[in-house]
Amino acid sequence: MPNLKELKNRISSVKSTRKITSAMKMVAASKLRRAQELAESSRVYADSLSFILSSLAGNTKNSSDLPEILTGRENSKISLLIINSSDRGLCGGFNSNLFRNAKNWISEQQERGKSVKIITVGKKASSFYKKTDLDVIANFDDLNSNDKQLQVSEEIKNKIMELFENNEIDEVSILFNKFVSVITQEPTYQSLIPLSNEEADEEVTDTSNAVFEFEPDKNELLEYLVPRNFLTQIYRSVLESSASEHAARMTSMDNATRNAGDMIDGLTLTYNRTRQAFITKELIEIISGAEAV
Amino acid sequence: MINLKVVSPQKVIFEKEVEMAVLPGAEGDFAAMPNHSPFISSLRPGQMVIMSANKVDESFFVSGGLVMLKEKVCEVLVDQIESLSDVNSSNYQQSKTFQELEGNETALGTFEQVLNNPPYK
Repeated sequence: MPNLKELKNRISSVKSTRKITSAMKMVAASKLRRAQELAESSRVYADSLSFILSSLAGNTKNSSDLPEILTGRENSKISLLIINSSDRGLCGGFNSNLFRNAKNWISEQQERGKSVKIITVGKKASSFYKKTDLDVIANFDDLNSNDKQLQVSEEIKNKIMELFENNEIDEVSILFNKFVSVITQEPTYQSLIPLSNEEADEEVTDTSNAVFEFEPDKNELLEYLVPRNFLTQIYRSVLESSASEHAARMTSMDNATRNAGDMIDGLTLTYNRTRQAFITKELIEIISGAEAV
Repeated sequence: MINLKVVSPQKVIFEKEVEMAVLPGAEGDFAAMPNHSPFISSLRPGQMVIMSANKVDESFFVSGGLVMLKEKVCEVLVDQIESLSDVNSSNYQQSKTFQELEGNETALGTFEQVLNNPPYK
């Protein structure tokens, strides 16, 4: 028969866990709202910028006129992957999904004979990749405020521009959890170098009715645009990732709270049954004792 | 009327129908009006004004950015923007833009210049 005291302790510990998880859920929900707003409002700028960039690139007939940083190098050997994880845990499969996805991607690249370098964003990724034998060139963490997110994006941008110029990398992609809805987050890749074709394809239909004039000339504009585009795309991925993180935490904490509730119900039932059984047992003992006299 | 949409990396600052907007293009100021030929330009630091009936309605300082002009739409991607109705030559040093422009001498110089002696009044 289970010990009554033990059961009681168990119930109270599950109860306090439930308190924590439900508080975390509430905190995540309120942070999510803000993060989602930020992510959505930053999309406008990012979309316009990539529209401009791709109409600029699309407008140049001869792709060899474009700088390498847009088109990528031929025979690229080294890919850089920027992985956007979270700083904290307790957010369900948020990080592990991402890492599993990254693992597939990395082995795919290696099969093609490319070597892979990694920049991690968030403490979870940096501690995860420390244990692997992959080449991690930089870690960024503590992205707890919007200013910090912008600042980190700027640092990453400078880093990749520098690495690309020094021929240390040939391709750059970002991996982040795209915020689809509160219950779904999708690990998504976005190619920075070369500029992803996806947008350029959409472009074809749009440019047909608008051929832009450029001022100052294209090359000068590109010089200004390319770094700015990197910054915006990185910043956007960081924001999406943070919205996804809060959403993932909210759903997983919601589940945890519900599970704790179920557990408390079950435990309370056993507790009451055991208590009842004890009383019955004691009664039987008293009665049979009295009868024996 | 042309649809003027001003966007910063963080958010859409405003979007409205205007008669004419004058923007500080990299190679000179230009006015955005309906049916302008499709045009993309970078912006230099300077004054952006919204005009109607040859009068300045609103005046802003922009620290730089990009503009994409289509038939009926003018999209302005700005780095920083400050409405000049909120700041004047006496209190501008407290403004957020002023602090963020620290270290960017051209933009800061233009900011002061625009405040003290705006090209469009």
